[in-house]
Amino acid sequence: MPPRARGAVQLGSKRLGQRSVLDGLRQSGSFKCLFPRTTSDALEAVLLNTAGGITGGDAFDLAAEAGAGTTLTLTTQACERAYQAQPGPYGQVRNQLAIGPGARLNWLPQETILFEGSALDRQLRADLAEDASLLLVEPMVFGRAAMGEQLNRIRLRDRIEIRRAGHPVFLDATRFAGDLSAHLARPHVANGAGAMASIVFAAASAEAQLDPVRRMLPDSAGASLLDPDLLVIRILAADSFELRRAMLPVLRRLNPDPLPRCWMI
Amino acid sequence: MATPTDSAILTLTQWLSPAYPVGGFAYSHGLEAAIDVGTVASTQETSAWITDVLDHGSGRSDALLLTAAYRAEGAGELAEIDAAARAFCASAERLKETALLGQAFGTVTGDVWALELAGLSYPVAVGRAARLQDLPLLLTTQMFLQAFAANLVAVATRLVPLGQTDAQRLLRDLTPLCAEIARQALQGNLQDLSSTAFLADIASMQHETQYSRIFRT
Repeated sequence: MPPRARGAVQLGSKRLGQRSVLDGLRQSGSFKCLFPRTTSDALEAVLLNTAGGITGGDAFDLAAEAGAGTTLTLTTQACERAYQAQPGPYGQVRNQLAIGPGARLNWLPQETILFEGSALDRQLRADLAEDASLLLVEPMVFGRAAMGEQLNRIRLRDRIEIRRAGHPVFLDATRFAGDLSAHLARPHVANGAGAMASIVFAAASAEAQLDPVRRMLPDSAGASLLDPDLLVIRILAADSFELRRAMLPVLRRLNPDPLPRCWMI
Repeated sequence: MATPTDSAILTLTQWLSPAYPVGGFAYSHGLEAAIDVGTVASTQETSAWITDVLDHGSGRSDALLLTAAYRAEGAGELAEIDAAARAFCASAERLKETALLGQAFGTVTGDVWALELAGLSYPVAVGRAARLQDLPLLLTTQMFLQAFAANLVAVATRLVPLGQTDAQRLLRDLTPLCAEIARQALQGNLQDLSSTAFLADIASMQHETQYSRIFRT
């Protein structure tokens, strides 16, 4: 058995005058965090998987907390790659986000690319204080389209849970085992789309964003307001390039700060 | 599992009949939008849409929610299942549909059978009512799914449109899938929730801004 990658990052933010600054950082194993200089008052943290991807038996854990009144933006230095796994355990990713009173967290990872034979088990849980805000995107690319890659043997468990003041407000879950390319080809599943993103905007200003966001979306996408403070958007696209083209204007609109540099195309 | 009694079958027939006053006929689950844009324009395409929604979308998740609600011990657990049911809705109209159907089902069933069913989403209310009346879980879930499929077939019959005979043949063909999903839900729990009927979900979002529409969802 090859050695398995393990990594954990814990970080938080606190207020220093107008700025949000780091409030504690622990990192271990193949998971690191960088802090580029930014022009805004937000704290930006760039996560880095030094193992270069995820395969069966790996485990990556993140716990991030945006302290009261802070803005914390999290992104990744590169696309995450879920590589072919041996039969047996999944590669496990656990992302735990806590957003304190009056705080805002922007969860803006780059795309996760599923490779043929991968086995990814990912859970994201976000706990928001009553008046906290969250902008979350999870872009996923189904194989490398440019190389004509098919995903005939995939195991995927993906779950996003958002709670506000302890109450569940959003739950999205995908469990799949088998021929994902054939499944996505179904006309009312994804009609052959090669990439997909879910965006969730949980904030007091969500309702006002519904109409402008809708006008930006292509036909293969939809937006809906589940609650006056909860906007959800689902975008399907032919490939990762088209996905970014559809997604970026929406993220720019929903994020008052400039997007992390890695998001520039 | 014991063979369902005649009285259990007849109670379920009453609850899940289109004549039961929950108003299911007013909801298309987003199918009206798919018909409007032309992605569903034939019996075969109707079958594909309903199959995907049953097998990979709300059909399977509602079966898991109904099953969990039936097995729930106590008000706290039931409330958690109901919160998950609402949080799992893919769009505002899906949420409205399950909330209003659940409310109507809870009101009439609660009044007639003297049951406490207030404030529950539809699959949770049906699961709870079946438990309180000691009706068989598997049959309840199978009939719930078949009623869901029948309602969608009725939407397509009116809008695609489909002939009456084709519509009934389609429902007959979808029924074994309803039975199978209900059987699988018996082995599952809420960790098994999954939704991959992405374009059907997007259709239900797009229905919110559809210019001319007959159905509420």
